[in-house]
Amino acid sequence: MNTGQVISATGHAALIGWLMFGGVFRAEQLPIKATEVSVISGEAFAAMLAAQDAPRSSTEVAQPAQPNIENEAVDVPQPDTTPAQEIPVVAQAPSADDAPDMTDLTPLPEAEVSDEAPVLPTPEPEVSVVAPVTSDRPVPRPSDRIAPEPVAVPEPEARPDPVQQDAVEQADTGEAVAEPQDATAPDEATSEIVTEAEQPAAALETSIRPPARRPTRPAVQAAEAETPTPPEPADTSSAVNDALAEALGQAGDAPSAPSGPPLTAGEKDTLRVAVQKCWNVGSLSSAALETTVVVAVSLAQDGKPLTSSIRQIGSEGGTAASVEQAFATARRAIIRCGSSGFKLPSDKYDQWKDIEMTFNPERMRIK
Amino acid sequence: MMVRIITALIALIMTATLSVTLAQAQQGPLRIEITEGVIEPLPFATPSFVPENGESAEMGAQLASVVAADLQGTGLFRQIPSSAFISTVSDFGAPVQYADWKAINAQALVIGAVSVAGNNLTVKFRLYDIFSGAELGSGLQFQGTVEGWRRMAHKVADAVYSRITGESGYFDSRVVFVSETGPKIDRKKRLAVMDYDGAGVKYLTDSSSLVLAPRFSPTGDRVLYTSYETGFPRIYVLDVGNVKRRVLESAQGSMSFAPRFAPNGQTVVFSQATGSNTDIYTMDVPSGRATRLTSAPSIETAPSFSPDGNNIVFESDRSGTQQLYIMSAGGGEPKRISFGQGRYGTPVWSPRGDLIAFTKQSKGRFHIGVMRVDGSEERLLTASFLDEGPTWSPNGRVIMFHRETQGAAGRSSLYSVDITGRNLRPVRTPEGGSDPSWSPLQK
Repeated sequence: MNTGQVISATGHAALIGWLMFGGVFRAEQLPIKATEVSVISGEAFAAMLAAQDAPRSSTEVAQPAQPNIENEAVDVPQPDTTPAQEIPVVAQAPSADDAPDMTDLTPLPEAEVSDEAPVLPTPEPEVSVVAPVTSDRPVPRPSDRIAPEPVAVPEPEARPDPVQQDAVEQADTGEAVAEPQDATAPDEATSEIVTEAEQPAAALETSIRPPARRPTRPAVQAAEAETPTPPEPADTSSAVNDALAEALGQAGDAPSAPSGPPLTAGEKDTLRVAVQKCWNVGSLSSAALETTVVVAVSLAQDGKPLTSSIRQIGSEGGTAASVEQAFATARRAIIRCGSSGFKLPSDKYDQWKDIEMTFNPERMRIK
Repeated sequence: MMVRIITALIALIMTATLSVTLAQAQQGPLRIEITEGVIEPLPFATPSFVPENGESAEMGAQLASVVAADLQGTGLFRQIPSSAFISTVSDFGAPVQYADWKAINAQALVIGAVSVAGNNLTVKFRLYDIFSGAELGSGLQFQGTVEGWRRMAHKVADAVYSRITGESGYFDSRVVFVSETGPKIDRKKRLAVMDYDGAGVKYLTDSSSLVLAPRFSPTGDRVLYTSYETGFPRIYVLDVGNVKRRVLESAQGSMSFAPRFAPNGQTVVFSQATGSNTDIYTMDVPSGRATRLTSAPSIETAPSFSPDGNNIVFESDRSGTQQLYIMSAGGGEPKRISFGQGRYGTPVWSPRGDLIAFTKQSKGRFHIGVMRVDGSEERLLTASFLDEGPTWSPNGRVIMFHRETQGAAGRSSLYSVDITGRNLRPVRTPEGGSDPSWSPLQK
C-alpha cells in the first residue's frame, strides 16, 4: 500500500470515527406530551355510536363550467380540383381471321408401333471412388538442429545461346572464381546455433523453478512506512475545524514533503534504468544474491551522487557478510553510473535530491 | 440537525480532497526499486607486484600473472591489460590515483609487493575499490619459500576473490586425478596430484596396474583410491605427504570400490560386490570394522556423504533404472530424488550442502548436472559424448569433471564449469586425465 493510500485511508477512518462517535448524528431527545385517557365499557361505546347521526349523502354536485364556443366561421379548406385527364383512344378491335384453306393438307403418317422392347444402351460402368486409407498421425522425425552440411548449389539450367559466340581461350593465370553464394539450409534446420553452455536442448528436461515469493519490504522501511498515530481530535465546536485539524495533523507528523511537482513515472524509470545498467551482480556470491539492501543517496544539482552520502539504511535476507557485499555492489553501481550525473529534470531537484534505492536481486539469482 | 449534517458533508469533502492531495505529493525522499541488473565480469587491474629488492624483480610479474589468471579463470572477473594502464605502480605505499584507474573502467585494483631474502619469500597486497575510492579490506602479507611462490599467488587471489564476491576462494587447492596415456585399448593409468589450475603435477603411483577413483580426505592429506593390483579391485589409503599406503581389508571373495571419506575423515563409505549383488558399506578406518548399510538385491554404488555427515547420496537401479537416492548415514530406507528421463550416477554432495552434482546419461549423451538435495531444480551444465565424474571446488561454486572424446584415439581430459553452466573451460594437464577429486583449501 503506498503512502497516498495510507494517508487517505487514515483520514477517512478518522472522519468516520468522528462522525460516529463525535455526536454529529446524535438525535436530540424530543419533548414527550402526556394525554389523559378514560376507559369506557362496550355498552357505553355502542350507545355513543347510536347517538350519532347517520351519514347523509350529498346530491349537490358541482357541474363543470361550459366552455365558450366561438361562433366565428372557420375557414374550411377548399378541396383540390380534379385534374384533367386525357381520354385514352380506344384501339380498334381486329377483324376475325379468314378461315384457312385446308384442301392442300397432306395426311399424317401412321405411327410405327413395335412390340419389341427397346434395347437400352448399356451404361458405362461407374468408377468407384476408393476412400483413402487414413494414415497414422505422422510421427515427427528428429531433425538436426544445425544442418550438417549446406545444400549444394543447384546446377544452372542449360540454355542455348541464340547468338553463337566465339570460344574464349582460357587465360594462363586466370582461374574461374565462383561467385560466393549463400548456402541454403535444409528445411528442418534452424538459424539458432546451440552451444553447450546454453543447453537449450536440455532446458526441457530441467524442472521449472517456481516463482519465488516477493520479499516484503525491509524491516527498516516497513517501520518507516508505518502510518503515524493520528493525534487526538481537538475539542472544537466546528466540525470543519476538526476535520482540517486531523488532516493537517497527519501532514505535520510526516517528513517534510518536497515542494514542486513530483517526478513522472517515465522520469523514475529513466533513473532506474540508469542505475541498473551498472548494477553488476555477476561477481556476487549466492548468499549476496539472496540479499536485498536499501541504499540512501543524495544527489547534487547536476545529478551526480554525493559519494559520502551513500549509506545503507536497510536490508533483508542473507548474512552480515552478504549484506556488506550487496551494499558494496549497489554503491559501486550508483557511483559508476552517476559519475556523469543522472539525467533528471533540474526543475524538480527538490524531488530527487534525496533518493532511497532498493536493490532487490531476486530476478538475478541463479536459475 | 440539518446544519450539522451539511457541515459534516462539507468536512468530508474537504478531508477527502486534502487526503488525495497529500497522497499525490511525495513524502520524504524519492524511492525506487532496482530489480534488474547485469551479469558481466568485473574489470580489475593487477599491475606487477612491486619488487622490494633486486632478487624479487622477476617474481613480481609472475605473482601478478598468477593472481590475474586465477581471478579471470573464474569467469567473474576480467583483467584489464597492462597496456591500458595510465598509472604505474612503483611504490606499494604510494597513494592510488583513482582517477587514472577509473578512466580505464577498472573497478578493482590489486597492488602488491614482493621481497626475497634467501629462500624466504614475502608477498603483500592491498585491494582497492576504485569507484568507492577506498581500500577494500586491509592489507595482507604472506610469507613462505621461493619454491612455493605459486601458492602465495593463489592465496592472494583467494583473498581478493573472497573480499569481492563474499564467498571463499578455491585457488589454493589441489586436485588428485588419474593421469592417462596411450590409446583406449592399452591405456596406462596412474595417480597424480596437481594444483587446481593444472600446474605442478606430481605422480603418486606408477602405471603398472589399473587405478580408479581417487578421493581426497577432508583434510587433504590422504587419498582413497581403487587399485586392481591383485587382479581384484581393492581400496587403498595413500598418504600424500610421504606416498605411503595401506589397504582397507574387505571380506573374502568380495570386490570393494567407489570409496569416499566421511566428513570426519575417519569413516569410509564404499561399495562391495559379493556375487552379483552390490551394496554400500561404511568402514571405520582405524579399526577396520565394516557396517553394511543397504541390503537390496539391486546394485547400490557411488556413495557420497553430506557435509554434515548425516546422510548419504548414492545411485541404485532398484527401480529398474539407475537413479539417485538419499539415505541416513546409518542406513535405512532410502528416498529417491531423481525422476527425470535417463540414467543418473556418480552423485557428489556439494560442500555447501545445498546441491548434488551428478552424471546423467540421456538420449545418447552425457551431462554433468546439479539438483537440489530434494531432487528439485535439476540443471544440466554440460553435454558431450562422455562427461563423467564431477567433483566440487572447496567453495561449492565450480565443478570439475572429465570428458572423453569419441573414437579409438579419443582422449580423456579434465574440464571445469561454474554451477551456473557458464565458464566451461579445460584444465590443462601434461597427459590425459580422468576421475578428478578436489581437495579442500590448503592451510
